[in-house]
Amino acid sequence: MATMTTQVTRRADARRHIVKLWLIALLPVSLVAIFNSGHQYLSAVDSNLLAADDLRSLLLRGLGASAQNPGLYDMVIVGVAHFLPILTMALLVGGFWERIIADRSQRSMEPGFILVALLFTLMLPGAAAFMHVAFGMSLAMILGKAIFGGDGKSFLNPALLGVAIVQVSFPGAAGSHPLWSGLAGYAGSDAIGLYHRGGESALTAADMDLWSAFIGSTPGLMGTTSVLAVALGAALLLWKGLIAWRLLAAQMIGLFVFAGIFNLLGADQGAGTMPFYWHLLLGSFAFGAVFLACDPVASSSTNPGRWIQGFLIAALVVLIRVANSTHPDAVVPALLLASIMAPLIDHGVIAWNIRQRARRHV
Amino acid sequence: MSESTLDTKKVTRAALLGRDYRGVKFELLCREGDEVGAGDAVMRDLRRPAIKFVAPVSGRIARIDRGARRKLISMQIDIDDSVPVAGVEPPADNKTDTLRSFMLESGAWSALRTRPFGNIPGPDGEPAAIFVTALDNDSYAPRACQIIDSRMDEFRASLEVLADISTAPLYLCHAPDHSLAFADSSKIRCVPFSGGYTAGLPGFHINRLAPIGFAGREVWHMGYQDVIALGHLLVHGKPWLHRVISLAGSAVQNPRNLCVVPGAANDELLEGELADGPNQILAGSPLYGRPLDTGQSFLGAGQRQLSALLGKSEESGKSDGVGTIIPSDRLEAASPPGIYPVPLMRALQLGDAERARELGALELVEEDLSPLSLACVSNSDYGSLLRAVLEQIEAAR
Repeated sequence: MATMTTQVTRRADARRHIVKLWLIALLPVSLVAIFNSGHQYLSAVDSNLLAADDLRSLLLRGLGASAQNPGLYDMVIVGVAHFLPILTMALLVGGFWERIIADRSQRSMEPGFILVALLFTLMLPGAAAFMHVAFGMSLAMILGKAIFGGDGKSFLNPALLGVAIVQVSFPGAAGSHPLWSGLAGYAGSDAIGLYHRGGESALTAADMDLWSAFIGSTPGLMGTTSVLAVALGAALLLWKGLIAWRLLAAQMIGLFVFAGIFNLLGADQGAGTMPFYWHLLLGSFAFGAVFLACDPVASSSTNPGRWIQGFLIAALVVLIRVANSTHPDAVVPALLLASIMAPLIDHGVIAWNIRQRARRHV
Repeated sequence: MSESTLDTKKVTRAALLGRDYRGVKFELLCREGDEVGAGDAVMRDLRRPAIKFVAPVSGRIARIDRGARRKLISMQIDIDDSVPVAGVEPPADNKTDTLRSFMLESGAWSALRTRPFGNIPGPDGEPAAIFVTALDNDSYAPRACQIIDSRMDEFRASLEVLADISTAPLYLCHAPDHSLAFADSSKIRCVPFSGGYTAGLPGFHINRLAPIGFAGREVWHMGYQDVIALGHLLVHGKPWLHRVISLAGSAVQNPRNLCVVPGAANDELLEGELADGPNQILAGSPLYGRPLDTGQSFLGAGQRQLSALLGKSEESGKSDGVGTIIPSDRLEAASPPGIYPVPLMRALQLGDAERARELGALELVEEDLSPLSLACVSNSDYGSLLRAVLEQIEAAR
């Protein structure tokens, strides 16, 4: 009779439990982030580049990675050496602000910042500069969370806000680090840009096919490359009822519909000719659709509103991708806009509901 | 599952509870020490004297408990079967007035409840619809269809009366696999309802069939055991001294259904039933039940379940006050249909009576929101928040 005892003890732990489940759901994408960072790094460098003396190179050399005939061990070490410092930085900065905010508002620290830090890390390239990480994470905690009163009270996903700020603030940040190759700066994978310029053959020339994009061995923001890993996390969240299936379904159906519309309009080239499955596989749409758009607090809270918001996200993503070749990924701005719209959508839905009720009452 | 096949549990004391009749100011018709037969009027409503309350059992009035501002808490009766049961004359004809005064005199009227607010309807009130709840979707509750089938004569007689106390349609809400042999007449409309726990609550049915809006109308509803009790009066001319309840919960050694007298004392019902160790007694189901208030250790009116859980109750649980709502599909599943849970919960947390009313609060009472309180992580008790809002609305009328 587990349900009965949970009635009595559930409340104190319920919120912590939700954060824990989200972290578990992010485990597959985190693993892919590590493996794929290693893979991308090792396939982009020649053996000498390991000799650089920045923190990450020191770390991976210290752990004994080598670029001569790299194996699985080297891949993991290199991946960890890129993923972990960013995550640590994000956690330290997030924890610092959480501590200050908790002290000022005289409450205990909430575990939400761990989730924010992980989501934020997964939406960054492996070569992100630490100062940029600290900057984005600070603003995520303050603007995305603290000024609204803490966990669950913001109307934006803090991690999404942090990523958006980093993308906007440092548009030309890409450097000579091997993990910048194939990326359009902080905006992530340039695959859609490639498709824009050269169609499917450009993807093939860059060694991208459906399978590699599905399992995630392509360049991109660390956690967003693998649709497979995202699907695993989504399955857990859906099973536990932590994300609204309607919102997710609406985004997927919307992607299919709007990509189809642009296909039918008959453009000769550019992202308008891109079929829906490439929209799903390239860039960070899948990751954003599951882990950022479905943030229960920052999305629509009525069922019709969830459908509307989902279609809106899909429409914005496809539209920006097709119409604006300088912003190839488009997921972050689209999610941000849709999230800001969510209270307005809810307002409309509720007003409509009230009118319906008033009409059929006794 | 007729009463004869069930375990009967004898108790020595039973009671009428003041908290079961919201908004009633009781005027006593007897004193401590008086002998009363089951069905004798013992109290009436001071403001609406036609509404009478009858003794649930025969015996001697042992104690009349009053709380703050002399509010009646309980009237306790020591059971003595030698005191004769009050007989009632069946109604002479089926005119509305005759039937209503029969129900008022025999105490059956006090089992009717209104929505909005969950009060006893006024003797001259005119409902927009009457709902009979002939199902119970709580998996621990007694099976409504078996009890009704074993008392079909009484149930039928009672429905015919209920259909005639007003011009409004009577909705008989039943489980889909329970075929009740009533032809859909112009008065009685049989509506099957399937679904989870909430689909068995009158709030759900009312929301579906006669949603309450702003026009000031009300609907009435009655539970199936009270319907049978009314039928017993009509068919046999004397009150039904049985109620079927279920005992359940992790602290109950032998969960089963029991046949008991209405208003029976909980401690006597639970004697010898509980496992050792600390436990918590709930009125209602193990999942959605309400912890008993101190000093209210009797079965309430219409209560069909008594539960006992292992472990101490968590006192600090509800004192946290308003927490953050985290929307999820679970909240949608736990709320009545057509009601958006998150906006309603926010309105209730803020005490925004106007918005809560627009979102459908008038169709609901506390029991409808207990699944939401359970599914929400915010620590809020939406039942009591709803009651506060309803009281605001009621006061403004």
